[in-house]
Amino acid sequence: MARYGMALDYKNCINCKACEVACKEENGILMGADKHRIWVGVKEIEGEYPFLNIASSAFEPSQCQHCDDAPCQSVCPTNATYYDENGVVRVDADKCILCSYCMNACPYDARYVDDRTMTVDKCNFCSDTRLARGETTTACQNTCPTKVRTFGDLDDPESEISILLRTREHFSLKSHLGTKPKLFYLT
Amino acid sequence: MAETIQQKQSIKEFIATIPFNKIGIKELLNFEKTPQNMLIAVITLAFLAFFVLGVATYLMHGHHAYNVTREHPWGLLIAVYIFFVVSSTGLCIVGSLGDVFGFKDYEMISKRAIFGSIVTIMAGFAVIAFEIGHPVTMLIYNVLSPGLTSAIWWMGTLYGLYLTFMIIEFVFLLKHNMKMAKIFGLTGLLVGLAAHSNLGGVFGFLNARTISNGVFYPTYFILTAFITGVFIAFIMMGFRYKLQFPENAKVMLTNLAKIQALLISILIFFVTWKFLTDIYGDMPNRAEVARHILGSWTFWAEVVLAMLIPLFIILKDMGKNLTGMFWASLSGMVGVFFMRYNLVHDTQLKPLQMMKTTEYQLAPTWVHYFPSMAEIMISLGGLGLCILLYYVGTKLFNLDADTHH
Repeated sequence: MARYGMALDYKNCINCKACEVACKEENGILMGADKHRIWVGVKEIEGEYPFLNIASSAFEPSQCQHCDDAPCQSVCPTNATYYDENGVVRVDADKCILCSYCMNACPYDARYVDDRTMTVDKCNFCSDTRLARGETTTACQNTCPTKVRTFGDLDDPESEISILLRTREHFSLKSHLGTKPKLFYLT
Repeated sequence: MAETIQQKQSIKEFIATIPFNKIGIKELLNFEKTPQNMLIAVITLAFLAFFVLGVATYLMHGHHAYNVTREHPWGLLIAVYIFFVVSSTGLCIVGSLGDVFGFKDYEMISKRAIFGSIVTIMAGFAVIAFEIGHPVTMLIYNVLSPGLTSAIWWMGTLYGLYLTFMIIEFVFLLKHNMKMAKIFGLTGLLVGLAAHSNLGGVFGFLNARTISNGVFYPTYFILTAFITGVFIAFIMMGFRYKLQFPENAKVMLTNLAKIQALLISILIFFVTWKFLTDIYGDMPNRAEVARHILGSWTFWAEVVLAMLIPLFIILKDMGKNLTGMFWASLSGMVGVFFMRYNLVHDTQLKPLQMMKTTEYQLAPTWVHYFPSMAEIMISLGGLGLCILLYYVGTKLFNLDADTHH
């Protein structure tokens, strides 16, 4: 049993979107669908020419935060959303009734309706594919040319992610909501 | 074995002795052909036709027939479902005044109100069935894999129980068994109030949506349910007596109007303080959403139609202008519709990324939503269904108070 998380050295992101392509390819995500399991956010440059704040421009890759205390899981009326043995927040499509409560409850806008199954889907850290095959990497991490993403077991003190989180400053999104996200943004 | 047969027989006998009028299509079409009645009949039929069209569109295109999006996953149908179940809970409260709490003046409306509560919740279920993506899966996994931390699970399950209790209470009312009606009425009322506050909890539990998060909606839902119940009581009694109210109805409705004045005043007090606390201190995401709501016409439609007009009509003649109250109640119900629409829409107004530590993903604008034709048709269809079921009920059962007990 592991407790998987991901650290993002987001300032290294070059917005090549290879992670989105790899995710679609690996997990069979609908082609052409925008911002489904993962996405790269673009923060526009602030200010007016010529007084542009170049430092304000940023690419911020994001996805489901795999919260330890996930609001989407608490609100699910049929337990279609559940924590698996690795602490990954997953969806059992057979139990999903498409009430969309999780979409409203998720503070990270990480959930979307899969048009093929008409159920709510989200990132599952490649649990159906790579992790199921015994691999310990995700498609998005594996393909990233600037090594933005580090995926690993948070409970293993020797894992790369644990070392990173011990040695680098980091923050989580909306941590004030008490969701305890397992995605960490390195600063 | 013999006991089981005996039990079966007594249940059969119990059901067989429920008093109702045997009616056919001919009796159903037999109503006074006044222009007003004909207009209502045509509108009802049109609404039912809309329902069929709306459902057909949904069955062909699924949720694509609706204008709901990832940013605004709940739309008009959720609002209309809430509208109907609020009406149902309200009618249950009004119906309980007489047969549960023993206020004699209100006994004359008990049976009608309880029947109304059954009809409205059925219309609500008919509408929500086409909003929930997989209603059959819901019925199965609601039982097999209950999500006990989910307000939707509690709301749905308790409303199912509530409907059962309301039907049983209504049967006992028809059979003049007031003792049993009281027991099932009280149980149904308590279950209904629990269900209804859980519906408020569906919004109140949304930590990510600061405008809705908190204790306000679970309590406000009960208050507005009572207000809605009184509005519908006026409408039902207005149609029943064609605005020529007998003396006992006048007494009851005048008292109800006075209660309504108090309830609306409390509501205005609640809403005022909700907005004051929302805006005070300019808390990010909450204050700006509250200001945005105050600038929307749908909010003022709610305030004028459901609060100010009825309150003015009641206070002007101390509740004695019953015809005025009938019309004010119709205005009130339109206002209550906006109340439901607003709470669903306003909850989702603010794009979520605004609350993130740093912004990303989408431009920080307001989330827009306007219902699609399919959503509008199914919603109007729900109203048509409600009117039809109520009309059939007036033919099938004696909804007036029994005079001989």
